[in-house]
Amino acid sequence: MLKRHFPLLIVLMLVTLALLLPLLLPWNYDQIDWDAVRSPAFSGSHIFGTDEIGRDRLARLAAGTQITLMVAIAAALVSLIVGIAWGATAGWIGGRVDEAMMRIVDGLYALPFMFIVILLMVVFGRSILLVFVGIGLVEWLTMARVVRGQVMALKQRPFILAAEAAGTPSITIILRHILPNIAGVALAYLMLTVPQVVMVESFLSFLGLGVQEPLTSLGILVKEGADDMDMAPLGLLLPGAVLVVILVCLTIEGERLRDRFS
Amino acid sequence: MSLYEIRNLAVDIEGHRLVEEVSLTVEPGQCTAIIGASGSGKSLTCLTPFGLTPGIATGSIRLDDIDLVHADAGQLRDARRRLTGFIFQQPLTALTPHLTVGAQLQEATMQAGATRPSRHDLVRQLERVGLSRPAERLDQFPHRLSGGERQRVMIAAAIAHSPKLLIADEPTSALDASLRAEIMDLLDQLRAEQGLGMLLVSHDLASVEGHADQLVVMDRGGVLESGSAAVVIARPAEDYTRRLIAATPRLDEPSPELGEPGDVLLETEDVAVEFQRSGWRRGKIAAVVDAAIMIRQGESLALVGGSGSGKSTLGRAIAGIGPVTKGEIRWQGRALPERRKRGLEMRRMIQPVFQDPVASLDPQWKVIDIVAEPLRNLRPDLTKAERNDMARRALSDVDLTDDFLTRVPASLSGGQAQRVAIARAIIASPQFLVLDEATSALDPLVGAEILALLARLQRENGLSLLFITHDIAAARRLCHRIAVMDDGHIVETGDMQAVIDNPRHSATQRLVAAT
Repeated sequence: MLKRHFPLLIVLMLVTLALLLPLLLPWNYDQIDWDAVRSPAFSGSHIFGTDEIGRDRLARLAAGTQITLMVAIAAALVSLIVGIAWGATAGWIGGRVDEAMMRIVDGLYALPFMFIVILLMVVFGRSILLVFVGIGLVEWLTMARVVRGQVMALKQRPFILAAEAAGTPSITIILRHILPNIAGVALAYLMLTVPQVVMVESFLSFLGLGVQEPLTSLGILVKEGADDMDMAPLGLLLPGAVLVVILVCLTIEGERLRDRFS
Repeated sequence: MSLYEIRNLAVDIEGHRLVEEVSLTVEPGQCTAIIGASGSGKSLTCLTPFGLTPGIATGSIRLDDIDLVHADAGQLRDARRRLTGFIFQQPLTALTPHLTVGAQLQEATMQAGATRPSRHDLVRQLERVGLSRPAERLDQFPHRLSGGERQRVMIAAAIAHSPKLLIADEPTSALDASLRAEIMDLLDQLRAEQGLGMLLVSHDLASVEGHADQLVVMDRGGVLESGSAAVVIARPAEDYTRRLIAATPRLDEPSPELGEPGDVLLETEDVAVEFQRSGWRRGKIAAVVDAAIMIRQGESLALVGGSGSGKSTLGRAIAGIGPVTKGEIRWQGRALPERRKRGLEMRRMIQPVFQDPVASLDPQWKVIDIVAEPLRNLRPDLTKAERNDMARRALSDVDLTDDFLTRVPASLSGGQAQRVAIARAIIASPQFLVLDEATSALDPLVGAEILALLARLQRENGLSLLFITHDIAAARRLCHRIAVMDDGHIVETGDMQAVIDNPRHSATQRLVAAT
């Protein structure tokens, strides 16, 4: 168990650190230490030093990781709910309804989705809620396709036919027979969606469209670090490393789960 | 001297001994058949010596003077390549999907070091296995061929390099009854022509009878009995063999005693089912054309036909779980509405049982919930405790103990799972069961038990049964009358014995001859 799920353990460790560190550190993520602007690592109480306006790097890193993961999990859940509802409906009803619903998905796939998210931000203004919803609404497309395929395959299985012959209403069949049987696959894709959303959120924040200062996320930290990388490479390397570790670990776990269920 | 000889073979996988003390011989030009239920170790016995399973073989195995136990990887490969040909159960998955028939045959011919065969040679190889229009077939991909044609290609590929030993692992199990006999005859003929020794593995005694010279009966990883096939079948020494022979339905066994049918229960008139062709192609496929059948109270009707004859589609239409394009299904004289409009009472009357017992149970549910499911919807007046009581009684009706109540489908054997499926079908006291190949996926012994169970349930509850199958001999044990389907049409109906004695339509004659 320990050895097999090593990547998951690393992620859990990072999450725990991100949650606990803000409580333990003497500095807040938006607190400016006027005496130690741009201080190097291990100077005084700043383990990784401070950024160009004197905020503790470690505190900001923890806060950024928290926000990024929160956005990722919330957006993945939105995509899970919308994707399952859409895919299960299309797959179960089939025929013309399925055609129409899946063509809508194809159409949305074809749109440059970064463009949609940017448009949403521009039209409705920047808010962290909108980042959740915007990303989730784009990420559900894959989930809907996966779920639809699973439902279509399950629909032909004799136990579903037997349930129909036993007079079980459609909604009960979907809730009690179909959803429990696709839970595994859906979970695997959920695991794969999380790193994708982390990526998108960081990218948006990097472009300045994500969460707003003084709130921070891994993407913003990477951007700030990149702006100042010749003077203080640590500012880029730290959030970059956390981002890479989270992405790689979650992707490995997700693919492992997917392989188990397919 | 024997061509292939196994002495005291044992097979271990990951430290577990799965096969022990198996000895058999194959003579040139003769056929040795291994018979056993699933899990008896018969496939391990024939594939492990060639390194085709994860198992480790010990004992003495000699093929044409090569010691296979002590052979290194190169010698083993050489034995596989030059001396043996293999035929597997699933002809579709055993052929490489992206290679044409010609390319596969060419590869098979050259595997033993022969020069590149000419197109003419390849055509001759296909002619030899009785494939029609061989020149055209060479350029086709496996998915274009039917199951029987694919199996012929497999055989052509297996003998393309002129091996001395042919190993056939359930070569006919995935095929229709009428094709089975053709493939077995082809194998007999090739054996005689080329002096080929054959090791045949099957779970079905009926399919090897008349073809095998030696018979080896296996059970739980050991040999129960072996000897000349004729002697073993005529005078079985072991109880298991006797039960196996008794369980295998045949057409010449005495007629079963069946109850007296009552009034007409269900009738179909001009029922047709059409499907839209998939993809971009226009047009419709007529799966069932103007089918008219009739079943009386307490009667069993066998609906028999090859695969693709439309028998399952008609059964599903009657059970209310498949579409009906036109026509009328009448229940006690009144028209049954289309499936979604059937009331609870109507649904309760007709219940289906399917071929694959494990797939017909929701893998996430416990047995008690599976069995009680129809009650939940069809008998909303019952409390949960009453439902569970009835589930318990239904399970005991199908001879399962209370221990099974909390089990999950994955922990059931095929026969147990089929009993659970039958319990679910009968719990709401229906009057009519549609059994879609309900015994075909089971081992012969288990299939015979299920047949006996169905006969008993029919006697006790006055059930009417529609027994959909490709196996006339199995149907004869249970059914009063028979309807034969071919290509969507019902081509012949009549009393069971009368139709078997005097089949009029060519499809019926084929099915009877194959049994």
